[in-house]
Amino acid sequence: MTAGLPQRVLVLTCPDWEQVAGPDAAAFDQVVTAVEDLCPRVEVLRPGACAIAARGPARYFGGEEALAARIAAAVAACGFTCQVGIADSLFAARLAARAAAEQAAAGVAGPHAAAGKAEPQAATGAAGERVATGAAGEQAAAGERAPAQAAAERVMIVAPGETPAFLARHPVSVLEDPELADLLARLGIRTLGEFAALPFAAAASRFGAQGAAAHRLARGLEPRPLLTRPQGADLSVCAEFDPPASLAEPVVFAAKALAEQMHAGLAASGLACVRVEAQVTCSDGREITRLWRHDGLLTALAVAERVRWQLAAWQTSQEPQEPRAPASGDSCQQIRLKRLPENRSHPGERGRGEKGPGEGRPGERRRGEVARGEVAQGERGRDEGEGAWDEGTEPGGITLLRLVPDQLVRATGRQLGLWGDAVVSDRVARAALRVQAMLGHDSVTRPVLGGGRGPADQVTLVPFGDALQPRFPADRPWPGRLPAPAPATVYPFPLPARVADAAGAAVTVTGRAGVSAPPARLSACGGPWLVITSWAGPWPVTERWWHPVSARRKARFQLVAENGTAWLAFLQDSRWFLEANYE
Amino acid sequence: VGATEVTQVTQVTHLPPRHALGSAAVDRTAPGSAVLDRTVLDGTAQGNTVLDDMAIQPVLPALRDLFPAGGLERGSVVAAGHWSLLCLALAAEASATGAWCAVAGLPQAGMAAAADAGLEPDRILLIPDPGPGWPQVVASLLDGCELVLLRPPDQPSAQVRLRVEAVVRRFGGVLVVAGDWAGARLRLQVTDQEWAGIGTGHGRLRARLARVAADGRGAAARSRARWLWLPAPDGSVAAADHTGAQGAFPGGPAIAAGHTGAQGAFPGGPDAAAGHSGHGSASWPELRSAG
Repeated sequence: MTAGLPQRVLVLTCPDWEQVAGPDAAAFDQVVTAVEDLCPRVEVLRPGACAIAARGPARYFGGEEALAARIAAAVAACGFTCQVGIADSLFAARLAARAAAEQAAAGVAGPHAAAGKAEPQAATGAAGERVATGAAGEQAAAGERAPAQAAAERVMIVAPGETPAFLARHPVSVLEDPELADLLARLGIRTLGEFAALPFAAAASRFGAQGAAAHRLARGLEPRPLLTRPQGADLSVCAEFDPPASLAEPVVFAAKALAEQMHAGLAASGLACVRVEAQVTCSDGREITRLWRHDGLLTALAVAERVRWQLAAWQTSQEPQEPRAPASGDSCQQIRLKRLPENRSHPGERGRGEKGPGEGRPGERRRGEVARGEVAQGERGRDEGEGAWDEGTEPGGITLLRLVPDQLVRATGRQLGLWGDAVVSDRVARAALRVQAMLGHDSVTRPVLGGGRGPADQVTLVPFGDALQPRFPADRPWPGRLPAPAPATVYPFPLPARVADAAGAAVTVTGRAGVSAPPARLSACGGPWLVITSWAGPWPVTERWWHPVSARRKARFQLVAENGTAWLAFLQDSRWFLEANYE
Repeated sequence: VGATEVTQVTQVTHLPPRHALGSAAVDRTAPGSAVLDRTVLDGTAQGNTVLDDMAIQPVLPALRDLFPAGGLERGSVVAAGHWSLLCLALAAEASATGAWCAVAGLPQAGMAAAADAGLEPDRILLIPDPGPGWPQVVASLLDGCELVLLRPPDQPSAQVRLRVEAVVRRFGGVLVVAGDWAGARLRLQVTDQEWAGIGTGHGRLRARLARVAADGRGAAARSRARWLWLPAPDGSVAAADHTGAQGAFPGGPAIAAGHTGAQGAFPGGPDAAAGHSGHGSASWPELRSAG
């Protein structure tokens, strides 16, 4: 924040983020990367929202309207809708972004629908015009113009100096401090304008430090400067191999030196990375990428060892059925790299969107990298004809190894707990990481027992290396949870079934938890009918009725078939499912 | 202290030289010595076999009689029929005494049941889908874990099977196969089962009385069978008082709540037995849940 000049902040929010991507922080990276292409320093507020200091970029792009429109178009190109607000403070910019959405929702007729808000009207009107002219002037693709214009309706710009007036209309509840808002309302202070009109000293002495910070917000001042995300690309390190390395050993050797270089770079900027991404590029254009948990704890040697596993797994997956393959895979010292398997995509990793904007389109991604000038490999052009190379038998060596620190955080050091942390010994960690190298990060999990009523809710599977955190807390009472003994078989997806009474009609449950007729026969997954010898239920479960997505209303049964198999079944929307087996 | 050294020497001789250089051999001594202490203290040795203490992973007391060696022999493959609580019960005691247990190819494994049976969830690795390269995955897992529970995704050829067995022997692990395995040293199976506590429209599943039969090769050729609570009302695995149970069982089909024979042997005591005659709704906790 420069003294004297009020700073300008742009906030971008993706309102439908939760629905599209779920609460996955890493996946927001593609939006951030798209924004970073326009403005280098971005602060991620939370997944789905980020902020930039707008003064410099706005001057470069020819005004705040043009900047907002460009950013909106760039995000729209990623496939997300966004709202943009620009104001003198971060708090006001967030409110402006929210107001932009309300304005878009209310005003189907266009930007002028925001009645009673003089300056936003003018600003958005101007934004719309600027987009149109800007796009035409720069010969933007015709396809890009439509989303840009649609996005422009979700932009609100609060003119410099107008921020206190903009804030004054908002109720005190927007301070997101329910206690303070409640107190202020009881004192007759209902809007931010009224709150800001109080003398600062009086507000600070009456409402304490929190109240003082809220008072600063209400006056349109910043409680703190922006914490922009340091650029990660600078800290990646790479080594080229010319001629291409056909053995793993020189690559692993180079990886150790690279890792030392990367650690030195990170340490010089006072940063640590949560994960490190190792990319190995082959001379036939294929690429194998793995993310490894780092947490600032891996030594250079440990990083090199992970690269070695990555190469070993690569070789294994090429020839899984070869009889002479070494049983334990530890002879990777002498890997001869023939060619990569056809399907290098691992759904678990790719699905999380950790790979940046070019994800899922390998060809495009490589072109993007070349364009950025990070690598210039002559062989890369070959990847256009991947199909032809599948038939080929020409061996390809490794041409490039790159280590990219992922999710940079401030290096604060890390201390393992003295007691309480379950210690994973080296040999187990090594085995788990080896399997992760073969199958992907999500393929090796550790169970965490938590709360919940159903058998599937009580266990959370956490990928090895990630923090063990149950989905539902275990220390709540969970009335109606399934009593012991727990079923030994819990189907990952409930199996469809049919349950009929003695007359052959499907068994149903009434709204008052009465069963239509005693269940007599059971057929699992369209299999043969089995006679039910014992049964118990129905036990109605109504969970999270207030949440439309996760709401569940079902009736549980225990059914014992003639062959002694005991099932846990449930009836939901008049359909029967088997969710567990007690055998 | 002396015992630990002996363990280490044994392990190192089992392993190829390159592993002696790494930390694997040294790390492996810790659980090994725990096993040793325990078997010595418990007096696991049955007397009828020459028991090499270091070559045994302990099993639950209720299961001990089924094993000719009194426990899971390291380096051996045990087939436990199709996936059931029995597979988890086999691993329970070893896991509780410090062994790591990997579960591969079994996305349906119930971890709450595993914890109730005695496994330590903190020492479990789950690999739900090992894929077509599963022999390689199993080999990697055996390098780190003492026990591997496996359901092979496909029927292994004899060649693959022998290779996996060689790896099991080399690392001194125990492979419990949920399914059939032609070269298994021991084969366990649930031959009879009966649920207690559930009636027709009342009660609930409380415990299962199961007859587990074991046969195999070598010392295990003589077939043995035991009655077990699999599970008992609290989810654990216990030996059933099989005089009471057997009296009621020859009939077999009488799967009912008021099973007199089973009731007599019911480990849960009067509280657990109460559900037999009463109405299910009384014993089931309040189900109309708010959140």
